[in-house]
Amino acid sequence: MTYRKALLSLPLLLASTAAHAQADCPVKVGVLHSLSGTMAISETTLKDTVEMLVDRQNEAGGLLGCDIEAVVVDPASDWPLFAEKARELLTVEEVDVIFGSWTSVSRKSALPVLEELNGLMFYPVQYEGEESSKNVFYTGAAPNQQAIPAVDYFLEELGVERFALLGTDYVYPRTTNNILEAYLKSKGVAAEDIFVNYTPFGHSDWATIVGDVVEMSEDGRPVGVISTINGDANIGFYKELAASEISADDIPVVAFSVGEEELSGLDTTDLVGHLAAWNYFQSAETDANAEFIAAWKERMGEDRVTNDPMEAHYIGFNMWVNAVEAAGTTDVDAVRDAMYGQEFPNLTGGTAVMLPNHHLSKPVLIGEITEDGQFDIVSQTAEVEGDAWTDHLVDSAKLTSDWPGLGCGMYDTEAETCVQIQSNY
Amino acid sequence: MRFLLALAVALLTSPVAAQTGPVQALLQTHAEDIAKPSRRTIQPVLDDLAASDLPAMPDFLEAWADKGVVRHDADGLFFYGTREGDIYALRSVEDGTDVGEVARRDASELKPNAGVRKLIATALVQFQLNDPDPDRRRAALDSLSRNPTPDLLAPLRASIEAEEDRLIRNRKEALDRLITIRFGTDQTARLTAIDWMADRISLEARAALNAVLTTDRIVGTPPEGANIARTLQVGTDITAEVALDLLADEGIVPDAVSRADRDAALVANIAGAAVAGTPVAQLDTEEARWTAYAALSGTGLAPPRPPVDAAAILLAMNPITEVYDEADPAITEAAVAALAQVDARVARAQAADMTLDAVSLASIYFLAAIGLAITFGVMGVINMAHGEFIMIGAYTGYVVQQIVPDYTWSLVIALPLAFVVAGAAGVALERLVIRHLAHRPLETLLATFGISVALQQIFKNIFGTQAVPLTSPDWLAGAWSLNDVVGISYIRIAIFVLAAVFLALLVYILRRTRLGLEVRAVTQNPGMAASLGIDPDRVGMATFALGSGIAGVAGVAIGLFAQVTSEMGAGYIVQSFMTVVVGGVGSVFGTLAGAGLIGGLQKGIEWLNPSNTLAAQTYMILFIILFIQVRPRGIVAQKGRFVQ
Amino acid sequence: MTDAASSSGQKYLGGAGAGPRPLIARADVLVFLCALAFVTIVATLMAQAGWVSTSFVKLLGKTLCLCIAALAMDLVWGFTGILSLGHFAFFGIGGYAIGMWLMWSRTEGIVLETLSRAPLPATPLEIEEAIGSQIFGVVGSSDVPALWTFAGSLPLQLAFAVLVPGAIALIFGWLAFRSRVVGVYLSILTQAGTLALSLWLFQNDNGLRGNNGLSGLQNIPGLSGTPQSTLSLWFLWGSAVALALAYLLAAWTVSGRFGSVLRGIRDDEARVRFLGYEVERYKLAVFTGTAMACGVAGALYYPQAGIVNPAEIAPIASIYLAVWVAIGGRGRLYGAVIGAAVVSLASSWFTGGGAPDIDLGFYEIKWTDWWLVLLGLSFVAVTLFAPKGLGGLVDLWTARRAMRRQGDLGPDQGALRAEEESR
Repeated sequence: MTYRKALLSLPLLLASTAAHAQADCPVKVGVLHSLSGTMAISETTLKDTVEMLVDRQNEAGGLLGCDIEAVVVDPASDWPLFAEKARELLTVEEVDVIFGSWTSVSRKSALPVLEELNGLMFYPVQYEGEESSKNVFYTGAAPNQQAIPAVDYFLEELGVERFALLGTDYVYPRTTNNILEAYLKSKGVAAEDIFVNYTPFGHSDWATIVGDVVEMSEDGRPVGVISTINGDANIGFYKELAASEISADDIPVVAFSVGEEELSGLDTTDLVGHLAAWNYFQSAETDANAEFIAAWKERMGEDRVTNDPMEAHYIGFNMWVNAVEAAGTTDVDAVRDAMYGQEFPNLTGGTAVMLPNHHLSKPVLIGEITEDGQFDIVSQTAEVEGDAWTDHLVDSAKLTSDWPGLGCGMYDTEAETCVQIQSNY
Repeated sequence: MRFLLALAVALLTSPVAAQTGPVQALLQTHAEDIAKPSRRTIQPVLDDLAASDLPAMPDFLEAWADKGVVRHDADGLFFYGTREGDIYALRSVEDGTDVGEVARRDASELKPNAGVRKLIATALVQFQLNDPDPDRRRAALDSLSRNPTPDLLAPLRASIEAEEDRLIRNRKEALDRLITIRFGTDQTARLTAIDWMADRISLEARAALNAVLTTDRIVGTPPEGANIARTLQVGTDITAEVALDLLADEGIVPDAVSRADRDAALVANIAGAAVAGTPVAQLDTEEARWTAYAALSGTGLAPPRPPVDAAAILLAMNPITEVYDEADPAITEAAVAALAQVDARVARAQAADMTLDAVSLASIYFLAAIGLAITFGVMGVINMAHGEFIMIGAYTGYVVQQIVPDYTWSLVIALPLAFVVAGAAGVALERLVIRHLAHRPLETLLATFGISVALQQIFKNIFGTQAVPLTSPDWLAGAWSLNDVVGISYIRIAIFVLAAVFLALLVYILRRTRLGLEVRAVTQNPGMAASLGIDPDRVGMATFALGSGIAGVAGVAIGLFAQVTSEMGAGYIVQSFMTVVVGGVGSVFGTLAGAGLIGGLQKGIEWLNPSNTLAAQTYMILFIILFIQVRPRGIVAQKGRFVQ
Repeated sequence: MTDAASSSGQKYLGGAGAGPRPLIARADVLVFLCALAFVTIVATLMAQAGWVSTSFVKLLGKTLCLCIAALAMDLVWGFTGILSLGHFAFFGIGGYAIGMWLMWSRTEGIVLETLSRAPLPATPLEIEEAIGSQIFGVVGSSDVPALWTFAGSLPLQLAFAVLVPGAIALIFGWLAFRSRVVGVYLSILTQAGTLALSLWLFQNDNGLRGNNGLSGLQNIPGLSGTPQSTLSLWFLWGSAVALALAYLLAAWTVSGRFGSVLRGIRDDEARVRFLGYEVERYKLAVFTGTAMACGVAGALYYPQAGIVNPAEIAPIASIYLAVWVAIGGRGRLYGAVIGAAVVSLASSWFTGGGAPDIDLGFYEIKWTDWWLVLLGLSFVAVTLFAPKGLGGLVDLWTARRAMRRQGDLGPDQGALRAEEESR
């Protein structure tokens, strides 16, 4: 349970007296990913990714003449622990940067500590947006870099006219679905053509919900499912979908949380043709990607796959390295200034650019599930600039984030004032 | 590699020139659209290709849709391509003859998306309707039903006469009617088809009828002869705000003034420290701001607000009507009548479908809970690790599938094996822990919880946190469906049968065997039973083996339709307790009633509030807490050791 | 049922101080208070000297709050025999109540500051909407739910932290005890209630931010200038004082006639009822009182943790509470405190990577993976072989000096008593 794990390791803390008074070497990189608990399966992969990136950088000569050292802690899928471990990393270990978090709630938990102690964190997972902290760089997709293009694909390429928005009941699906509802309505889809359903984590009884979705096609217009279903619950959902003999040609499903890693726990023969939207697929055919996959497989084993958040860390880490070299120091304020406008090639082609709102510009890819658990890329856009505050909700349409220019992550363009410097948690 | 490349280039340079035939030539005129097709732009290209009457064209379209076409990057020519490792084996689009190989990196596979594939399939329909292969004819009808177009009505009708397969012929006739309803030109034919649909319940029928009934909103007097569906009334059909917005769109009333607009107008008109005579400092309530705004608009400094109070009058002067896109009132009337009949039937069918779902859920709960019920009845202890026996069963199924790849055989092996493995685990638990805690039910509860935590973590350490696949055999794939509304997957039917078998088995054991007699005796009065020579320890062990074994079987069943994780048991344990407590401890039929009540209740609440499954679970638990106030001993109250 | 002797049972409710010695002079109370004061003072001095980090001070403060909850659990289970699997839910409710005020008034400060820069003076509606979109924008909503009506008032929310758990416990307990739901039935029912509450909290619709819960609670409104290193010490002292008071209150409760009746109910409910006591009232009083104590503990805990969310309230948390008490030794107050402190600190040591991994040659035991197995099995072992828990160790020392039977075994439906007799 949370509070048990929420407690810190005593010896480590008591040893904090040995303060880090020595020189800047080695450069320390904190890794704040759960290695146990429910999120371990997703986050352990990212810990391994950061460690691989650190090793590769050390082989290439380190950073500022120092070796890089990865400091790994385990917040154990326990949200309050993210705050505690972040504090430990920043005050006891005195790391120069943190790569970490998967769920939004874990990021929100660490955020107050990062802002209090002026830390720097790279957050690699697609999320619901509506946030731009001075101390976080968001290398995953904002809604306009994943959800909106996927809906456009549904509207334009598949001609879908009725939408079922199915999600797990937590903040990412809720906010994403709110944004999508507003967006769909702005595209002329009527309210009665949008069905929204929320299920608990790990839901297994999908018969009724799948039945409801099938019923939607009764008025003769094409139906599509936009799934923000999280984790294990997808298995029951896809199994029920397959059992009811609904093919991707009848009712296509596009998922935002199902990637290569998640498919490895499923028999995909019945899912062929269903879709996922990401900024990266392992099947992207570029030299950089081939090299990255090869390095990953060599380190972790032939049967391991790569996925979108891994690419986000790959871009984030390399940008940070370049920014540190440009700044000539690991000082957070200097590195942050050097981060703006940093460019680094994507694994899928094109170039990622760090924007003033701490988000990246990245291409959006849509892939069809294949029988071998990979994705066939059927659509790839040009780079899309991540938008911290969505334009499709009334309250946030007027907000913008511009740290170097306005010094504010939540700037009201109508009232022309900075709503707040610190984030809302 | 380099050799292969050289070979490929050598091979390609000569045959390619020779390969340029009529198909390739036609394709090259649309090369970019074919290479990067989009649903919005591809239709003219498809029309052109289909109209070419080239005999090789249908084959090309099919291969294209199946992602079997590649484009050579260097010269932009199209080939049929099969990927073999790092090369594509190329065949000509003219006649399918081999033309050589090319390195994978020098050619790109065409990946038309699902929208384009649908259009290609529609373009292929006219070629496939009379195809000798019945599968292709069915495929053609499927894509026709997905994307009905008026152009294909004639070819479809023409193909009915020659159709020999009775089922396909029926389907063709049904499709003919469906398309006639939407696109037909003859009124009588359409009316006949609509009448025919009134007896149907299928999604296709409803789709066809609904498609006739699409409407547009028209503000102001509708045009002469318009087929009016209804005139909207404020309050009943739309709200005053929406009505005013619609009128504002036509410029009949001024646009609504939002609070932001109002504040902007106020700020723009600050003169000195006041707006329209009101000091700025006093504008700290909504009323004051609206009053100030009214003063502004009175002097023409701001646009006026629409009169919300007068919405009904304005609407009477400017009626908003919904007008059918279909011009013929006879058709729309018939469709409305037919749809009303269909809807009544659909409502009944939905109730039946909901009942099926509830029965299915109840049988799952029954399987999960029955083992708990009999051990609770006999031993008087709550086994918190019961959910983990479900998990052990599911993982047994997974392990068997890893060893025996045939899904049917693995299932045949897994079911009894799961019974044995989980039963053995149950016996071990009983002998090692529960027996030593006799007469201490609360401590047993906590001790078995300790076991449950340990088991979950051990399985997590062995099998990982990620869900493992447990795949059902092909004959359990798919669903039995009475019609497009009432249907249930075969897996759920199988689980229902399994539950029924175990119900019968348990009733038989309890009523007809020596063990059952002893179990009933111990349940009712352990002390008396013991003094009559029944060994309560032995009975306890036997019931634990039986109860845990059934949980193991339930685990395999649950794993077939949902995820197998180390935490899956925890998801069922509270539901199982509820089932047992609601049903009445120690009674098979009580558990059945409890499972029925909980399954039915959950589906009922879900039906009332379909968009929030989580709420259904919450309210169900609250209901059960209240239910226990009314019947503390459960539905089937039993006299026994727990009656005080 | 209402028996004629109800009034005679009632008058003993006030029979305080009837213990054998003045409370403060009792050895266990004295030792406990001294130990608590020692730990708090030493931690403070070390923190001032910079020898321990702010994180450690927070950890200590939180552990003290958990000890309060464990004390409450001991009262209700160890002394009264009601195995409640829902007391941690009350802890969480306390956290939510205080968290609502913390979030609201912190946001209110930000919003008022922003709006003061606008050309027009802010209207109440504007302020409420701005706060709403700040707090609930994250979960895709901007309306302020009715639940948050009093979130701006610290006294009211503090009162809610105590009264809401109390009211829920009162209603639930009244329903359950009235219909004589006892033993495992009651445990299951409390567990179901806890599950319902956590499922309800998981829903975003209900206005408590769903899975995200309330976060940023470590920033105390009006104290933004005070560093966390100072705040953490204040909370440590607050938690220590609360624990001391809770211990005194609990010791006072169990020492008098009231405590004797409770132990009587635990050992044989029917007999106590036949003696004319209104058992249900005693049970209800303990159930409700301990729920309120848990609420207070939660209100102190979550500002130190920084975030409260539905996962905290899940049924398993309450079961762990029972596990701590069982391992520490139920039916004795210091047992509960020892159990909570030892198990939670040990678990943080094991899962925090503090414990060295054991290499068996063919397999490496990583404690992050195997700690739960160890905990589960050691818990079974304690239940089987050492029902008195860690607190039983104290007996080895005290038993030599004085034979005094305070009924501290905490048997389960009289079973242990029966076992003693048979020896």
